Amino acid sequence: MRIIDVPAVEKEAYNPDRPISGLIQMQLVHLSTAEQMLPPNIRRTGINIATLHTEGQAAEYIQKVTALLHRAGKAKSKTTAKTKKTASKSRKATKKPVAKSHKGRKTAKARK
Amino acid sequence: MSQGLDNLKHIVVLMMENRSFDHMLGALKKTNSGINGLNGDEWNLDDTGAKVLVQTKATFQGQLSHDPDHHFAGVDLQIFNGNMAPDRVANMQGFIKSYKTRDTNTDQSHAIMYYFTPQQLPILTTLATEYALFNGWFASIPGPTLCNRAFAHYGTSFGNVDMNIFYITDPILSIYDRMNKARHSSKVYYYDMASSSLEVPNLLQNQQELFGVYSDFVKDAAAGKLPEYCFIEPNYSDHPGPGGGQILANDQHPDHNVKAGERFIAQVYNVIRTNPDLWKSTLLMVVYDEHGGIYDHVVPPNCKGVDQLAGHPPYSAKPAQTGTGQAFNFDRLGVRVPAIAISPWIAKGTIVPGTEDPANQRIFEHASIPATVTSHFLGDYDARTDREKKAETFLDLLTDTMRPDDDCVAFRL
Repeated sequence: MRIIDVPAVEKEAYNPDRPISGLIQMQLVHLSTAEQMLPPNIRRTGINIATLHTEGQAAEYIQKVTALLHRAGKAKSKTTAKTKKTASKSRKATKKPVAKSHKGRKTAKARK
Repeated sequence: MSQGLDNLKHIVVLMMENRSFDHMLGALKKTNSGINGLNGDEWNLDDTGAKVLVQTKATFQGQLSHDPDHHFAGVDLQIFNGNMAPDRVANMQGFIKSYKTRDTNTDQSHAIMYYFTPQQLPILTTLATEYALFNGWFASIPGPTLCNRAFAHYGTSFGNVDMNIFYITDPILSIYDRMNKARHSSKVYYYDMASSSLEVPNLLQNQQELFGVYSDFVKDAAAGKLPEYCFIEPNYSDHPGPGGGQILANDQHPDHNVKAGERFIAQVYNVIRTNPDLWKSTLLMVVYDEHGGIYDHVVPPNCKGVDQLAGHPPYSAKPAQTGTGQAFNFDRLGVRVPAIAISPWIAKGTIVPGTEDPANQRIFEHASIPATVTSHFLGDYDARTDREKKAETFLDLLTDTMRPDDDCVAFRL
């Protein structure tokens, strides 16, 4: 089998002080907008993205907001699950007699 | 149906950043004339009027520290060299002119014509020659990252040609929504929390359950829990690791280190290659979102389908959005990018013909991704654009023969 060694990257390549590219700049804008739209019970980062100039600074903010978005998402899915559970319980409660009568009908049919 | 297709359970797409086909793979033409790369005599004029040839002078980092323009108007300049006449013809002559607008001096502006040797990029060039290389895979839009990536997720950019936030109002689902609603599994793996996803407004903001990080991809693959479809985003920034250490950007966006991207591609490949169950049942696509303003010699062709959902007007970008003074009707593609399909069911050295072979050409773009995933996992599916429906799909590259293990390259990290 042909095996190829993957070249290593020089240590000097790492530069978290590199100015952010247009791509990261737009990612910051998008995340900042998403942060502003979080539910009021989620605590904001309080960071103004206009003060972020380097990749390292941007990454720190991106990490915080991504965590917040996931936290909000988890909370939302818990609420949705609870609502669904409650709805299904109440459906079950109202369905019970119907189910019985259905069963009864089936039995009656079978007797026939 | 081929045996390779019969065995296909997973499609994995790794989308890298901002490098053109010729810049990364153009040198391969020297050893394989079937690859539509560079002859070495392709040129652009610089601001002194001197003819500047393409040259194998690309470096891993430091050469493109002035980020080349890849917004719509900049790419228009690169393709048409500033000609705005109604009957204009694309000539790929405006790359140096465009790069000169980025505060570069005359010498620096030549770097946009530089390309790598195969020895510099052993991972990408080996994959290109060992599996299937697309001579004609183009960015979906002659424009920047986000609208191009949107085509990979939705088969359209909903009329956008820029990096601005857009919220989806039309009834077109992302490929992940389509899959999950049909009880198929799918996921977006971004590199880590500090790099996050570029799909913030519609996906990350509202559907966090679709996402995992790269280490989840590795775990899911090892545990036999890899989704049927997944999309991997590289790391977009240099930043400290969670427990210290240094994490390098590996997206290959200029001016990030290209070797770091090579290592990442090798890592993703190894995750699949070293797992026998996954290796025989997975198709890995490595593709770049757009050319990043870097030279490519192939004129982008027109689109086959109309960027339109039935019952809705076709998408069109207004002159103010394009920045060229002219509207854009999503009727032609962006600049060509590297794209490689990887599977042991693909014949070694497959080259998928592009515009260099008009009789047999197959033109791919990022809408080919949801088109392929949809056709394989979902079959008939109507609620998508005409353009996606007519996009080329790539699963016919899977053959009846699985190559033996020792015929498939391995990478040592």
